[in-house]
Amino acid sequence: MTSSLEPIVVLSLLVGVIAALIFVGVIVALVLFAVRYRAGRGGSAQQIYGSQRLEIAWTAAPVIVLAVVFALSVVTLERIGRGATFGSLEPPLHVTVIGHQWWFEFRYPGGAVTANEAHIPIGVPIELELRSADVIHAFWVPELGPKKDMIPGQTNVLRLFTARPGIFGGACSEFCGVEHAWMRIQIVAESHRDFDQWLSSQAAARVAPSGPAADGEQVFLASVCVSCHAIRGTSASAAIGPDLTHVGSRATIAGGVLTNDTAAMRSWLADPQGYKPGSQMPRVSLSDAALDALVTYLEGLK
Amino acid sequence: MTAGVPAVMRRPAFVTAGLLSTVDHKDIGVLYVLLGLVFFVLGGLEALLIRIQLATPGAHILDPETYDQIFTMHGTTMIFLMAIPLLVGIANYMVPLMIGAEDVAFPRLNALSFWLTLFGGLLLYWSFLAGGAPDAGWFAYAPLTEPAHAIGSGIDYYIFGLAVSGAGTIIAAINFAVTILLMRCPGMSVGRMPQFVWMVLITSVLILGAYPMLTSDLVMLLVDRQLGGRFFDPSGGGNATLWQHLFWLFGHPEVYIVILPAFGMISEIVPVFSGKPLFGYAYMAASGVAIGFLSFGVYAHHMFAVGLGDAQNAFFSLTSMLIAVPTGVKVFNWLATMWRGHVRLEVPMLFALGFIATFVIGGLTGVSLAVVPIDLYVEDTQYLVGHFHYVLFGGTVMASFAGLYYWFPKVTGRLLDRQLGLAHFWLTLAGVTLAFLPLHWLGIQGMPRRVWTYPAGLGWEWSNLVSTIGAFVLAAGTIALLANLIRSLRTGESAGDDPWDGFTLEWTTSSPPPAHNFDRPPVVRGRRPLWDRKHPDRMDPA
Repeated sequence: MTSSLEPIVVLSLLVGVIAALIFVGVIVALVLFAVRYRAGRGGSAQQIYGSQRLEIAWTAAPVIVLAVVFALSVVTLERIGRGATFGSLEPPLHVTVIGHQWWFEFRYPGGAVTANEAHIPIGVPIELELRSADVIHAFWVPELGPKKDMIPGQTNVLRLFTARPGIFGGACSEFCGVEHAWMRIQIVAESHRDFDQWLSSQAAARVAPSGPAADGEQVFLASVCVSCHAIRGTSASAAIGPDLTHVGSRATIAGGVLTNDTAAMRSWLADPQGYKPGSQMPRVSLSDAALDALVTYLEGLK
Repeated sequence: MTAGVPAVMRRPAFVTAGLLSTVDHKDIGVLYVLLGLVFFVLGGLEALLIRIQLATPGAHILDPETYDQIFTMHGTTMIFLMAIPLLVGIANYMVPLMIGAEDVAFPRLNALSFWLTLFGGLLLYWSFLAGGAPDAGWFAYAPLTEPAHAIGSGIDYYIFGLAVSGAGTIIAAINFAVTILLMRCPGMSVGRMPQFVWMVLITSVLILGAYPMLTSDLVMLLVDRQLGGRFFDPSGGGNATLWQHLFWLFGHPEVYIVILPAFGMISEIVPVFSGKPLFGYAYMAASGVAIGFLSFGVYAHHMFAVGLGDAQNAFFSLTSMLIAVPTGVKVFNWLATMWRGHVRLEVPMLFALGFIATFVIGGLTGVSLAVVPIDLYVEDTQYLVGHFHYVLFGGTVMASFAGLYYWFPKVTGRLLDRQLGLAHFWLTLAGVTLAFLPLHWLGIQGMPRRVWTYPAGLGWEWSNLVSTIGAFVLAAGTIALLANLIRSLRTGESAGDDPWDGFTLEWTTSSPPPAHNFDRPPVVRGRRPLWDRKHPDRMDPA
């Protein structure tokens, strides 16, 4: 199997063809009868009241078609369900995903914690443990197939798989408040070796900064940032907002609003509500110099 | 008093003592339909705002708070204040006429239902002035609506607005059920009732079963919000998915509540304009009953991603697929009714045919959603939005338009204009296709629903733009309808009692009917009393 999407695509195509045939049949009959039996002048139609045989036929035929569709859907459900291995012999990788208003937290075994962007190894079943910190969210990456809700007070399990490397976009798929739109996901599927390398770098504490970045760390630790964010290796350990230990390594910030670079980070910190109105991220008033140092520091956290 | 003219039509000024105190089912029916049309326009304007915001990626025409209020009010309006009043209004006017009764069983309660629905609507819309409309979607999923997450009074207005208008709908259902069961004219056995009456009866039973679920959900939410309850708050021992169970126990029957009367109207119109009796009358009634029963057993197909378990999902998948069987029976019987008929493509018939074509698309995508693995992909995407707009606009609204063109002459004594009607029909059919077909593709491409904006570069631009253009085409169609209504009311061609060569009792009385409906109480001996009267040599089998 190439991915956990594949069985869904196969089933969808099948159901799509059946549906298209029925639709074409109905439309052809509709247009044909409307044209063929259009009333001319005079006369009246023969009064036909019904036909028991026809009624039985068009009750039974759909039942048979639906029975086949149902059987195939149960088989497919089994292939993407809770215990699915997707034909892989590898043990599954367990990742905990926690939905927050409005970002995703990924917790890997070994201590790596990231936000909105997660890496997965190809060819390995991924078992996501889905939770929520506040309201109901849903985890969905279309190229990996099924979605599942993230519900406070409940842990859901979603098994995904891909044999193909790539960068796959996704998003929260349950309305969760003001910035539901900017709660996007980026999944990087890569070889086992690349993944292991990425995971160990993400699990590490931050590298102690030097130069302007060291000033930036002081700005960070002295400001209100620390009441929400953690940077492992420093005294900042709050778990309300995204873990920033390796924020510089992520492709996007603010749940997908901005591509991550120095200019974007500066704009974001200067005016979070302008870029993501309603977000929980407040504007922190800093001098230009302090802001520059902070941006240098954060972007250096690779 | 001009005998026979409904009070609403008689008086130029809308607010009069007579209108406020009327208990005549025909007046109340007209009031309901007017209410539905006003909210159709309001909800339509909200839809245009939504589509303007989504026409291009990253737009800032609406801020997210406003967008959330607008899409919540659009859905809530269209379900509770457009579809229900339109259908209840048409039923209010037509059911007593079609069963040969003088009025409904409880005329005063009937007035109460209307005013409750109106005040529920006003209460809901008052929220805009009171600091912000509800903003958690028409489905209002807890715990997003819990006090910790929904500050402000929007959700409270949602609770009271829906509870009050819902009470009106429950009372209307009691009234319909009792009227249909007890007030049929001599000879009209249950097996001779027009299909529209059959469907209204089934709908009434569904309302009585479904609306109390919503009301209890609303009361629990009110307790959570105002009295510190924790029904839906897991951190206080509550359950975050309890709301959804009760909501969809109401919400799925609700889908059939707003489609069964539509089916009923199509089953009246297609035979008349085919010059034949409805094909398979008994099967049409029975399939309606089957849909009614099944509609209470399918609700969790809205919750396949909640994690109820594979076996539970499979069960609700099966019941949801089953409901396609009686629905298919209806479509096949409509087609068979046209078969070897004398088909007249008048505007009501065109809307009926448009209904069948678009509803079949909505029905088939509905089956795809009953297939759990497919649903797990497309649920909560734009595909869903496309699907249920085909069902609700292509279905309920198209059928209501068909009914409007069909019965307007009976209500006003004048025909609606054919040219404007054709413009309205083709704009509607084109608009539905342009606005809602591309949404299916967007969903398959991965665009979630209920998002206030979306990133550029994902290939979603064109489909969104086309959908927005479609929304404006629908708006143009609506303008043609309103122009037609206003113009024909004053200068429309005189209709006479029976402009369509109809079959059922409402066409035996004057247009508009007298206050007491019939000068002599009708007596019937078959399913098509007027056909029997016109064709004594070829009467229906009794």
